[in-house]
Amino acid sequence: MTIWSEPRFLPCGDRAFSVELGDEITRDINARILALEYLLQQKRMPGVGETVPSYRALLVYYDPLVVGYEDLTATLRGLLAEARPEVLPPVRTVELPCCYGGELGFELEPAAAKLGLAPDEMARLHAEADYYVYFVGFTPGLPYMTGMPERLTIPRLTNPRLKTPPGSVSIGGVQCCIYSVESPGGFWVLGRTPVRLYDPTAPDPILLRAGDHVRFRPIDRAEYDAIAVDVDAGRYTPRIAGPVATTS
Amino acid sequence: MSDLVVQDAGPLTTIQDLGRPGHLRVGIPASGPMDREAFLLANRLVANADTAAGLECTLIGPRVEFTDERLIAITGADMAPTVNGAPVPAWQGLRVHTGDVLKLGPARSGVRAYLAIAGGIQTPPALGSRATYVRGRLGGLEGRALRKADRLPLGPVGAARPHRLHPDRVPVYGGEPELAVVLGPQDDRFTPRGIAALFEAPYEMLPQNDRMGARLKGAFIEHTRGHDIVSDGVALGAIQVIGEGQPIVLLADRQSTGGYTKIGTICSFHIGRIAQVKPGGRLQFRRVTVAEAHAMLRQSLRALDTAIE
Repeated sequence: MTIWSEPRFLPCGDRAFSVELGDEITRDINARILALEYLLQQKRMPGVGETVPSYRALLVYYDPLVVGYEDLTATLRGLLAEARPEVLPPVRTVELPCCYGGELGFELEPAAAKLGLAPDEMARLHAEADYYVYFVGFTPGLPYMTGMPERLTIPRLTNPRLKTPPGSVSIGGVQCCIYSVESPGGFWVLGRTPVRLYDPTAPDPILLRAGDHVRFRPIDRAEYDAIAVDVDAGRYTPRIAGPVATTS
Repeated sequence: MSDLVVQDAGPLTTIQDLGRPGHLRVGIPASGPMDREAFLLANRLVANADTAAGLECTLIGPRVEFTDERLIAITGADMAPTVNGAPVPAWQGLRVHTGDVLKLGPARSGVRAYLAIAGGIQTPPALGSRATYVRGRLGGLEGRALRKADRLPLGPVGAARPHRLHPDRVPVYGGEPELAVVLGPQDDRFTPRGIAALFEAPYEMLPQNDRMGARLKGAFIEHTRGHDIVSDGVALGAIQVIGEGQPIVLLADRQSTGGYTKIGTICSFHIGRIAQVKPGGRLQFRRVTVAEAHAMLRQSLRALDTAIE
């Protein structure tokens, strides 16, 4: 695992390239990626299209008829010198209610057994942590997060499930993710949040953004069901601390 | 109010426009037509704006009824179009009248046909676009493929004359199309032999292909050290190679990020070609530099702008 001494610019066809800063998953390198994306978007350069941040790279779309590859990569080299976390807008902390174990968190018990923990203890450790969203993607609205105590590091499932319900709060390796749509999955499902991370009927369908912090609030099944009713009726807003405006 | 009435939908007919770029950073792909050139030409043949929404029909076309007089055009795969049972030509504007029924049959060549209707389809946009993203239940009509008895609202039409494509510009599907590929972003994770294999002989389209991606079969592509990477963004046309050393090309409705090596990327102006290759059909990759790709892009845009008589 390394941080490159110089950024690498890697072509992705005729209309995109990737700026890569290393090949490790660290907050530091990811914060530079998010800051670089933010600075580039602030510049509103003609010919720059959409951008996709991930752990250690930024995918940049561009229109080569408007801005040249060499000019754009030179601009990005310049921006990298200023790309520090301090340039980013203040972070938000999003609180998500989560019902651990039982029918909704159907892998809490086997995961706890694998780690030699009591299920309650495992849920408590998971809910106490502060999670950081590196990026959102794969499926719409799915956050890639770390922040778990080391004690909860667990190998991924050997036989991935074909279907994981949306809202499933899951762990694998040092990562935590929340499935946003029904999809296959190789992470252990510890619980479920009734909050929708992706709601295609909403004006802004996506709840979480890269750089957000997430806290889980343990709830029981009765509260889960009550919140789910409110979510369906469009009456529920998760608690968000910090600015609500986003950079998207 | 004028509608397009769906009498029979076909297996996968969706409303598409040029798509919704800008949301890949939160996992929502741009979607839009798989064969962008054929889609654009259909709109231009009926004097629509490039941004107007039309239909993408997959493998077998729909049967639709018109409720007023307007221009339509069919492009892309050859689905033997008929109006009220009589064969009509593709790749040119046609006038239809109240009660006329257009039928598109099984694709004789190509995979995806496009139907543009003057005035465009006017379903409510989602995130600025009418393109359907079925997996995300977004856009189109209720975020889904069309069904029998759907009624699609159409926009108002002005007085426009039908256009036609230069006959020598009508694409021929079913050969062995050549697709320009720029190496990267992870070409350094493949051996020289692995990279040579990609360009040496044609690859075959497998049945596992949809709007998200297409699996191909052919020469083994050798990695240097495994196929896992720290997940990064996935560009349109990315050629992902996993364990079996076989390529998967990621297309309009692809996942936004992925943890597998991508040896190269098919250039934007050739994405439409792969969208028209049937399962069992073959295609050939050709290596180009970024500068060559940009020259080819300019040329293809010029060709598109002069394709219509």
